[in-house]
Amino acid sequence: MARTKIVEVPMALEIPVGPQHPALHEPLLIKLYVEGEVVTKVEVNTGYNHRGIEKLCERNNFYRNIFLCGRVCGICNTVHANCYVRAVEAILDVDPPPRAKYLRVLAMELERVHSHMLINAVMAEVLGYDTLFMTIMRDREAVMKAKEIVTGARVLADYMMVGGVRRDIDEVKKDRLLKLLDKIEERVRYYRKVFEDDPTIFKRLVDVGRLSPADIVSHSLVGPVARGSDVGTDVRFEDPHEAYPEIPVMKLIKRDEGDSWARMMVRWDEALVSIEASRYVLQHLPQGNAVPDERKLPRRFPPGEAFTRAEAPRGELTYYVLSDGKPTPYRVKIRTPSFNNIINGAFAFVGACIADVPAILVSFDPCISCMERVVVVDPETGSKRKLSLRELATRGVSR
Amino acid sequence: MAELPEKLGLLKKYAKKVYEIKVSRIVAEVEVGDIPRIVEELIKSLGKESLYLTTLVATDLPEQGIIRLDYFLSVLPEKKVVVLRAAVPREDPRAPSLLNILPGVFSAECEVYDLMGVVFEGNPHLRRGFFVPVEVAEKGIHPLKKDVKV
Repeated sequence: MARTKIVEVPMALEIPVGPQHPALHEPLLIKLYVEGEVVTKVEVNTGYNHRGIEKLCERNNFYRNIFLCGRVCGICNTVHANCYVRAVEAILDVDPPPRAKYLRVLAMELERVHSHMLINAVMAEVLGYDTLFMTIMRDREAVMKAKEIVTGARVLADYMMVGGVRRDIDEVKKDRLLKLLDKIEERVRYYRKVFEDDPTIFKRLVDVGRLSPADIVSHSLVGPVARGSDVGTDVRFEDPHEAYPEIPVMKLIKRDEGDSWARMMVRWDEALVSIEASRYVLQHLPQGNAVPDERKLPRRFPPGEAFTRAEAPRGELTYYVLSDGKPTPYRVKIRTPSFNNIINGAFAFVGACIADVPAILVSFDPCISCMERVVVVDPETGSKRKLSLRELATRGVSR
Repeated sequence: MAELPEKLGLLKKYAKKVYEIKVSRIVAEVEVGDIPRIVEELIKSLGKESLYLTTLVATDLPEQGIIRLDYFLSVLPEKKVVVLRAAVPREDPRAPSLLNILPGVFSAECEVYDLMGVVFEGNPHLRRGFFVPVEVAEKGIHPLKKDVKV
C-alpha cells in the first residue's frame, strides 16, 4: 500500500510496563518514554506489594522469622532462609555440623538450577519460542522433584533451621538424586547449545542491553547481570560460608560480552556448575547428624548484630539482624538482588528499541509475570490498547 | 580495635572508632558529613570497578535520639565488606546524598527516606509511596520507626 503520510517524529509515547500480578513477589511498573522506537527515558515505580516483612520480623521471635524470611521470595526461599539463619547463628555463636552444611549447599544449588532454567525458559517464550519454553519447563520438573526429595517440598522448602537442616537424606534418596542429576545435566547441556547456536536467539540477544563493568559496579548491579559484564563478584567465593570452600568443583563463571546473551549464557554455565557441585555434595556427604533437636535450641539471644550475605540465583542477597537481648530481633534488614538490579538497572533500557525491552528485562531476571500486560497509549488520538509482553517482543509496536 | 586492610588505610583519617561485627565486617564510625568525601576517596584509590554499595541500613534508636545509618560497602579486590556507620539526629534526620558519586545508592536512599524518613540532601528523586502504601504515606508516618504502629 502506498504511503500518503510519513509519521511525524518525535512521537511521544508513554509505555507503562506492569505493574500488577498477584502471584509473584515483584509487581513493578517500568514506565518507558519512547520517541519512535527508541527509549529515551525510564521511570521505575515500586510499592505495589510492599508487605512490610522487616517490620513484621520485629514482632515475631527469632525462630518464627525463619519461616517469614523463607516467604520473601518463592523461587529462592531456601537461600533467604539460609542467609537469615546464618545471621542468627552468628549472633548465637552456633556452628552447624558439617553434614548440615553440605545439605544446605545441596538445597541452594538445586534451587539455582531451577531458577536459572525458569528464566531461560521465560526468555525463550519472550523471543517467540513457545515449544522451547515448554520443554525447558518440563525438564525443570526433574529439578523440582530433586528438591522435593531433599527438602520435602517442591517450592517452599522451610529446610533451614538454626544449627542444621530439617531433614536428612538416606542412601536410597542419594541414588535417586544422582540419577536425576544425570538426566538434568544432559538436558541443560542441550539447552545451553540451543542458546549458543540458534541464529534467532543470537540476533535477538547479542549486543542488546550492553552494560560496561564500570556502570555495573557504580550502579550496584549484582549476580549474573554483573558476571555477564566481566565483573567477578560472587558471594560464594567472596564470603566463604557453609560448605562452599570445601567443594573443589565450584567455579566462578563470567563472560566479557556484557549483553543480554552473555547474561543468559552465564546462567546456563552456572546451572552446570551447580549440578556438578550437587553431585560432589552427594558423593562426599560427611557422616553425622544434620538435624538438631529443636527442644535443645537456645531460648535466650545475646545482644549483638550480624550481617550475612548469600548468592541467591539472582545475585547477592544480604541480611542484617540486630538483637538487643530480647526474644524478638530489634531490626532485620533484607536486601534482595532484584531490589538493586531492577530499580538501579533501569538505565540499561535507555537507547534500546521497544522490542528489545522485554529481552533486556528478562535478562535481568525479574519476576516476569508482574509485567505481563502492556498498555500502549497514543497521545494523538488518546486511544489505548493492550499488548501482551510476547506480542511486544515479537512484533514491536505498530500503529 | 580491628585492623583495617592496607588498601582501606585512608579510613583511619576519618574513623572515630573501628571495630568488627559478625561475620568479619569492619565497622568504621564516621561523621555523616564526611561520608561523600570518604566514598569519593575510596573510589579514587581503589578504582571505579572495585567498590559498590551493598546495602544501606537505617536503624531507629529512640533511646539515644538518633537514627543510625550503616553503609555496607563491598570492596571487590579485598573481598571484604566495610561498614561506614554514622548517626543522624532523630528529630531532623538529614544526610548528604551519594547519588552523584555512587548511582547505586538510588534505590537504597529512596527506600530509607520512605520507610525511616531520613532526608538525603541532593537526591531529587526522594518521594513518599516508593514502597509504603499510599494510605500510610498520606498520614505522614514512616513505618519502620520504632514508635510507629502499623
